Amino acid sequence: MQRDPNRFWNPHLAGVALGTVLGVTFLVMGGGLGASGGSLRMGVAVLSAVAPEHVAATPPLARSAAAEHPQWLVYELFGVILGGLVAAYTAGRLKREVLKGPRISTGSRLALALLGGVLMGVAAKISRGCASGQALTGGALLSVGSWVFFLSFFAGGYGAAWFVRRQWR
Amino acid sequence: MTFPLFPSHELGLAFAVLSGFGFGFVLERSGFGRAQKLVGQFYGYDMSVFKVMFTAVVTAMLIVAVASVAGLTDFKLVADYATSQTLLVPFVVGGIGVGAGFVISGYCPGTSYVAMASGKLDGLVTVLGTIVGQVIWSELEWRPGFSTFHDATNVGNFYLWELLHLPARAGPPILAAAVVAMAAACFLIADRVEKALGANADPFARGIPGGRPRRWVLTGLAATCAAGLAGLLLPTGTQAGVRQVASVSAPELAQRAFDAPWRIRVVDVRPREACTARRVPGAECAPQAELAKLRLAEADPSRLLVVVGERQEAPPAVEAYRGKLAVLRGGWSAWEEYALAPPRPPAPGAPAAEVEAYRIRAGIQSALTGMKAAPPPPPPSAAPAGGARKGGGGCSG
Repeated sequence: MQRDPNRFWNPHLAGVALGTVLGVTFLVMGGGLGASGGSLRMGVAVLSAVAPEHVAATPPLARSAAAEHPQWLVYELFGVILGGLVAAYTAGRLKREVLKGPRISTGSRLALALLGGVLMGVAAKISRGCASGQALTGGALLSVGSWVFFLSFFAGGYGAAWFVRRQWR
Repeated sequence: MTFPLFPSHELGLAFAVLSGFGFGFVLERSGFGRAQKLVGQFYGYDMSVFKVMFTAVVTAMLIVAVASVAGLTDFKLVADYATSQTLLVPFVVGGIGVGAGFVISGYCPGTSYVAMASGKLDGLVTVLGTIVGQVIWSELEWRPGFSTFHDATNVGNFYLWELLHLPARAGPPILAAAVVAMAAACFLIADRVEKALGANADPFARGIPGGRPRRWVLTGLAATCAAGLAGLLLPTGTQAGVRQVASVSAPELAQRAFDAPWRIRVVDVRPREACTARRVPGAECAPQAELAKLRLAEADPSRLLVVVGERQEAPPAVEAYRGKLAVLRGGWSAWEEYALAPPRPPAPGAPAAEVEAYRIRAGIQSALTGMKAAPPPPPPSAAPAGGARKGGGGCSG
C-alpha cells in the first residue's frame, strides 16, 4: 500500500476506535484518559528534584506527588508518545518541523505555541482537566460539568480564532 | 458485577501504557498531530475535531451504558470514579481558556504530546508550556483569594440524567440515544460548513466527509442504543445496579462485633480522621475515595459487609461486593449514641429484659471507652439466669 502522509482515517471510524479505547479503559481501570494531570506530575517531578521543601509546602503539588492517579497518567502519556511515534512513523509523517501558516515566522509561531500551552495549562488546572480529561472522559460519562466544559471549550476556541488567524493561513 | 476490574498497581501501570498507546495512535491517525488540521475546527474548513470527539464520546458512553444494563457494571459507579466534581464557574472559565489556548497553540494538551512524538517542535513547546501552566496554577489555586474562585460553585458529582430527573438505570441509555440523534444532525451541519468554508483552504488540511463509513457508524451506534433500551425492559437478572441494601441496627451490630466478629466485615467510609479517632471494633477505615483499594468485588463473599457512614448510606462502590451487604441504621451517630454514651440505669423494679439490655450496653460501653467498670446495675428484681456471663460481651475481660 502506498504511504501518503496526507491521508487520515475517516473521522467517524477514528472516533469509534478512540471511544473503544476509552470505554475499555473505563471498564478496566474505573477511570478515563487525561493529559493535563500527567503533565502536572512531570512538572512536580522536576520541581521535587530542585526544591523538594517547596513541593511539600504547596498542597496541590504535594497531592500530585503523593497520589496514585497522577503516576498512572504519566505512564499513560508515555504510551501516548509511543503510540503517536509508531503511528507517525508508519504513516510517513515522522519529520522534525514547525507547523505554521505561510505568513508567520518560526520564532513567532513557537512563542505563540508556548503562550497557548501555558494558557491551557492554567485553564486545565482550573477546570480539573483538559479536552481529554473533561470533554472526552467526563462527557462520555454524562457529567454536567464536563458538558459545561465542552461548550465553553468551543466558545473559547471560536472566540479567539479571529485574533490568531494570521498564524495559520 | 464484573467491571471495573481494578487491576493491581503494576498491572494498572502496564495497562496505562497500553491504553495510552491506543489513544496516541488513534489521535495521530486522525490527523491530530497536525496543528492546521486541529485548528481547522475553529475556522470552519475542517470539522474533524468535533467529528472524532463526538463519535468517541458516544461510543465510550454506549460501552459503559450497555455493560451497565447487562449487569456487568454500574454506570454511576464508573462515573463517580472517573469524573471530577462539577464546579460551574471554574469549568466555564477553564473551558474558555483551554479553547483559546487550543487555537493559539494549535494543540490541546493531549494532541501536543502526539505532535511532539511525530517531530513537531511547536508540539514540544506546547507540551512544555502546558506543564509550566499547570505548575503556575498549582502554586496559586490554594492561596487566599484564588481558592475562593478555584473552589466556587461546587455542586459535587452531578450527571445529566439527574439534571433531567431520569432514573439512574434508564438515564444513561436514554441520553445516549438522544446524543446519537444530536450527533447525526450536527455531523450533517459540520459537513455543510466544511464545504462552504473549505473551498479555498489548504488542500492538505481539508475535512474528510463522513461518507459511507459514517452511515455504518451511526447505524451501529443507533442499534447499540436500541439494544441498551431493550435491555431495560428485561425484568430480573440485570438488576445488579439497583440492589436493595439491608440495614442493621447499632445493637445488632454490637452483638455481631463482639460475639462473632469473624462473620462480619465492617467498613467505615467516614473521613479518615474521624475513623482513626473512634470506630466500630474491627472496622477498616476506607474513605469513599479509597474504597476501590479494598477490591470488594474480589473479596471473600462469605461475611456480612457492614457499611458505617456519617449517615445511613451505602456508597455505590460497596455494591461491587458479592456477599451480603448491610448499612448501619442511623449511621455513625446511632452507634455513638448506643455504644459510646453511658446508658441510663433502669429504674428499680424494671423488667428483667430491660436490666439485661442495660447490662449488655454497659458492658459494651465500658469495653469501648476504656472505663474499668460500668456503673453498678441496680439490684435485679428477678435475676436472669446466666445473665452476667454476657455482661462483657465476650471480649471485654
